[in-house]
Amino acid sequence: MNEDQDKLIAELVEKGLAGDMEPINEIEDRVLRSKAKAALVKAKRSAKPQETEDHVKQVSDKSSIDDKSLSENLNENIGEMVNEKFPGSLVNENTETHIQLTPDHWFEIAGWLKSEPSLSFDSLQCQTGIDIGENTLEARYNLHSMKHNHCTEIRISVSINKPVIPSVEQIWRIADWFERETYDMLGIEFSDHRDLRRILLPDDWEGWPLRKDYQVQETYHGIEVPKMKEGWE
Amino acid sequence: MGILEHRFQDNVIVEKLDKLLSWSRSTSPWFFQFGTACCAIEMMAAAASRHDLMRIGMIPRSSPRQADVMIVAGTVTMKMALRVKKLYEQMADPKYVVAMGSCATSGGPYWQHGYHVLKGVDIVIPVDVYVPGCPPRPEALIEGLLKLQEQILNERPLTRKMA
Repeated sequence: MNEDQDKLIAELVEKGLAGDMEPINEIEDRVLRSKAKAALVKAKRSAKPQETEDHVKQVSDKSSIDDKSLSENLNENIGEMVNEKFPGSLVNENTETHIQLTPDHWFEIAGWLKSEPSLSFDSLQCQTGIDIGENTLEARYNLHSMKHNHCTEIRISVSINKPVIPSVEQIWRIADWFERETYDMLGIEFSDHRDLRRILLPDDWEGWPLRKDYQVQETYHGIEVPKMKEGWE
Repeated sequence: MGILEHRFQDNVIVEKLDKLLSWSRSTSPWFFQFGTACCAIEMMAAAASRHDLMRIGMIPRSSPRQADVMIVAGTVTMKMALRVKKLYEQMADPKYVVAMGSCATSGGPYWQHGYHVLKGVDIVIPVDVYVPGCPPRPEALIEGLLKLQEQILNERPLTRKMA
């Protein structure tokens, strides 16, 4: 009896794996039916890892070919693609170390950098700012692709008199706090940021501390800020 | 204590009562459990089993209303300064402050270029004991707290102050 049952279950599982579930569902004996179904699930589970491994192998093979052609001159390729898609956005043709962009189409470019399959920059590793003097502030973005394991740097310069850059907070969520910090320290305004407040300093602090022309305020709520006590030099 | 404090002339009974009061205060100065920076780690170590602040009567309290001593453990930024002041004002009298570490005593490494750091917590609240160190070891903190207990023991809460 048992051997017969085993044989029957094996047959049913084979059929089930091929996609034909009807014979299993037609069994009237409940115990036998559940046994057959359990065996089918087990068979499917043991078959799966191999499949996914093959799949992964194929994908990695494919991407490695892409990578070779792309990653050799990644920055130059990105530069060319940006020039093609968003003409006028590339400030400097020389993209050896980084890509210099204008702020105008940054939001669209960022969305494209993330969604373009050959680039797929899915992680913003760092976003920071710098005052490079000559009335220019610069925001810098370090991008990394988990899929292709390549990275690049985007730089966007703005005038100190009108420091506005489109926010990418809705593309990479991590940019939320990064941009708040850059705003806090340098006063670069990220337009369309949904929660642009100071992040470290108090809300009513005056000035932007990491700018070259920063002057510390004299008092804060009646407390002397650049305090010199007796005996200090 | 507000009604009785410093209201009585010096005599034997008042002196004895004073001694009792100051002794009981000095042996159970519960401290306010909050830290602003790395010194707080040493404060925690001092309160934990090896150094055990409870053996000198100090129990951490999480509310300013239940605390007698405020240990300002660590850098006080301008943003925090207003909050430290507010917390101090919420403590019930008699209250004492221990400034722990260089930052709380003088601004520490930020004394010159730290635009956002308060140059010593004594600018906003009165300090009784300064404990130097960066950060001070638990032994140093305990030394400071024993000094504070000594100060409390020598107080005369009931006797009228001589003008």
